[in-house]
Amino acid sequence: MNQPSPSRSTQILRGTALALIGVFAGVIIFAMGIAAGITLTRGDFSFRGASAFPPPGTATGSISPTPAAARTAEVDQKLINETLSQLKGNWYGELPGSDALTNGAIRGMVSALGDDFTAYVEPKYARLLEEDTNGTFEGIGATLRSLNGAGIQIVRVFEGFPASKAGVQNGDYIESVNGVKVATLSATEVAALIRGPGGTPVTLRLRRADTPKPFEIIVVRGKIVIPLVTSKMIGTGPDKIGYVSLYDFSANARKQLELGIRELLDQKPKGLILDLRDNPGGLLSQAIEVGDLFLPEGDFIIERDQAGNVKRLRTTNSGIAQAIPLAVLVNGGSASAAEIVAGAIQDYGRGQIIGETTFGKGSVQLPMTLSNGAQLRITIERWFTPKDRAIHGTGIAPDITVVRSSDDSKANRDPQLDAAVNFLQTGAKPSP
Amino acid sequence: MSLKRPILVTLLAIGWGIAMFFGGWALRGGISSPNGALGRPAPQAPGGPSPSLLDEAWSKVRESYVGQVPSDTLRNYGAVRGAIQTLNDRFSIFIEPQIRAVERDQQRGSFGGVGATLFINDEGQIVLTPIRDAPAEKAGLKANDILLAIDGVPLAQKPELNEVLLRIRGDVGSIVNLTVGRGADRYELRIVRAVIETPSTTWRIVTTTAGAKAGVIAIQSFTARTPDEVKRAINELRRDGAAGLVLDLRDNGGGLLNASIEVASQFIADGVVLLERRREQPDVSFRASGGGLATSGPLIALVNANSASASEIVAGALQDNGRAKLVGTKTYGKGSAQYIYDLSDGSSVHITFAKWYTPKGRSIDGVGLIPDIDAPRAEDEARRGQDSQLTAALALLFP
Repeated sequence: MNQPSPSRSTQILRGTALALIGVFAGVIIFAMGIAAGITLTRGDFSFRGASAFPPPGTATGSISPTPAAARTAEVDQKLINETLSQLKGNWYGELPGSDALTNGAIRGMVSALGDDFTAYVEPKYARLLEEDTNGTFEGIGATLRSLNGAGIQIVRVFEGFPASKAGVQNGDYIESVNGVKVATLSATEVAALIRGPGGTPVTLRLRRADTPKPFEIIVVRGKIVIPLVTSKMIGTGPDKIGYVSLYDFSANARKQLELGIRELLDQKPKGLILDLRDNPGGLLSQAIEVGDLFLPEGDFIIERDQAGNVKRLRTTNSGIAQAIPLAVLVNGGSASAAEIVAGAIQDYGRGQIIGETTFGKGSVQLPMTLSNGAQLRITIERWFTPKDRAIHGTGIAPDITVVRSSDDSKANRDPQLDAAVNFLQTGAKPSP
Repeated sequence: MSLKRPILVTLLAIGWGIAMFFGGWALRGGISSPNGALGRPAPQAPGGPSPSLLDEAWSKVRESYVGQVPSDTLRNYGAVRGAIQTLNDRFSIFIEPQIRAVERDQQRGSFGGVGATLFINDEGQIVLTPIRDAPAEKAGLKANDILLAIDGVPLAQKPELNEVLLRIRGDVGSIVNLTVGRGADRYELRIVRAVIETPSTTWRIVTTTAGAKAGVIAIQSFTARTPDEVKRAINELRRDGAAGLVLDLRDNGGGLLNASIEVASQFIADGVVLLERRREQPDVSFRASGGGLATSGPLIALVNANSASASEIVAGALQDNGRAKLVGTKTYGKGSAQYIYDLSDGSSVHITFAKWYTPKGRSIDGVGLIPDIDAPRAEDEARRGQDSQLTAALALLFP
């Protein structure tokens, strides 16, 4: 597809996107907020007038009088002031400072949206995020999600990396990080707290469904390097199947994936497996590029914004793998761009989606900086598949459901991959 | 010193069923606002959240958010709730008008409920205990079941008690389905709501194998009627020949402050019942009211980890005044009091305004009371109709 020449604001957006990809491909902890949300800003993809959104980083302090801004006061101070008077008169402890109350009040307002991805990042964590972009921070190899003020949950730990080695498990709830309680923080803030210089420890206090008491685990931060694309041939002879996995949708996703697929196709496999499991997303533009490899020309994704504006983003007819029998592996860690690709392939009937229902994050967040230095990440758009199915909240249900249990992982079994190979070789679906 | 300070004591959050005082809400407030803040116009409270930043943030949400922007009311509630959360005190909370209305209903004392008490444990889970012969027990609810879902809707990660109450309660005769966890198992309970007017106190005579008669007074919560019930219990048990008393405060989550002082006063002739400490103010001591019916004679108090708040006040007073030994397990450790303030639109805030200490100045909050005789109760005792804690209390009562 055509890349518009970067205007100032698209460059800013690109800067943001790449910085966060730095967070994520450079590779550390994937906050779902970060991994799926932040990186999925428009990035290098500019389909709207550059002025349609205030560029992040410059958004505040200079709001031109819009109808909303022209209102004399957005937020009714009466209840807040009544409450504050009561707190001053009666609260047993020390009253938090004005800044803390401001952060709390904004957090509370944002929670009223009921959207797990619109998030407030208070100034000190926004600063951490900024420091993070210089690339010296490392993570623990896990993705997080916020449950809208009701807690922070680890969605997925990546095998072989610090969190997994230290015993952190999928589904654990984080109570505190280095003693800081995180229940009311956003996933982005918690990710900022967890990340830090490589080799240094971070103490997580975790709660686990089958464990009565919260417990602490110390994880040593480290570099998490996972190849963007891995490929291999499974089997030999006429029934051999090509396998390619994509780790995330960072800037080189299409390029490297295309290389890997070309090598496989040269060997004339019977079918191709695209592994998008635990792929947390990335750039929207790369989602389209990757879709291009497999799909004919046509609608790829439908975006809707607040005003009901509908934008249809299309694939071109440039793919090298438009005909070969295809299976796509997904699971609960497949989010955002990964869900878009899986959803489009499913809508076109281009391949079988195999595995578990995906994460369900079909929205774009735009980070804006407030005048106190905080960041407000607002969900500005929602995505729908070419057949106009919602991704957000529901995720993509596989055509063939195959669960991979933790016991399977420990024993190095991969029933999902086995099912995909079997399907491509014989057309057989496992009996439910 | 007078006990009748001119305070309005409010019974709050009485559970569905009778008393679910989460950790015992001995609350005051409501009408008289101690600092006269009600009605004082305050365009911008100094030291409060910055109005301009709140406006800035919300104007961005209004401009860009993809979904439906919540009403101004919900946004304001969010702001107040968020500000209160910065206190990091789970007993200081914001209550929306609808839920506040439920609280007021509860004060009237009659509603459709299932008959169970509940509290939030350290993990933030809601723990249920059935009230004898009430619908929940008949439907199969067991003590310490964990509430997971109501009518098929799972609870939030950190459920708010009042919201849970609101969902469980309803019209008499209607049906509510509760999903509870018990160990590794899950149970679906279909319960028909009923009017539940459970007395707060039950009593009975227990005869030991040696033939001694003890009167056991079990208080499930401290309501306005509890002092009279306890007086009646003492008189009846005496009449029936009780040579000693066991005051059972197990699984009693608390209740009214005044009720707890009156109950303690039945057993303590003279002396301090509790100390109340507020920020930057001298301690206030509350003394026994005098005229108690059982200020002498053998007495043991039974406590466990669910004995909270008002229960801990009574137990601490008996212990510190040397009136009774405590038998059982360490108590819950809720020694704080909340004040309810009704905001101008009918919502309210609960604010922790004081901490309570035993007469000897021991802290209750976050600590709990250590029993004189540690007597854990095995999990399966109730099922087998055994009560080793009561046995231990009787052994101490009639050595």
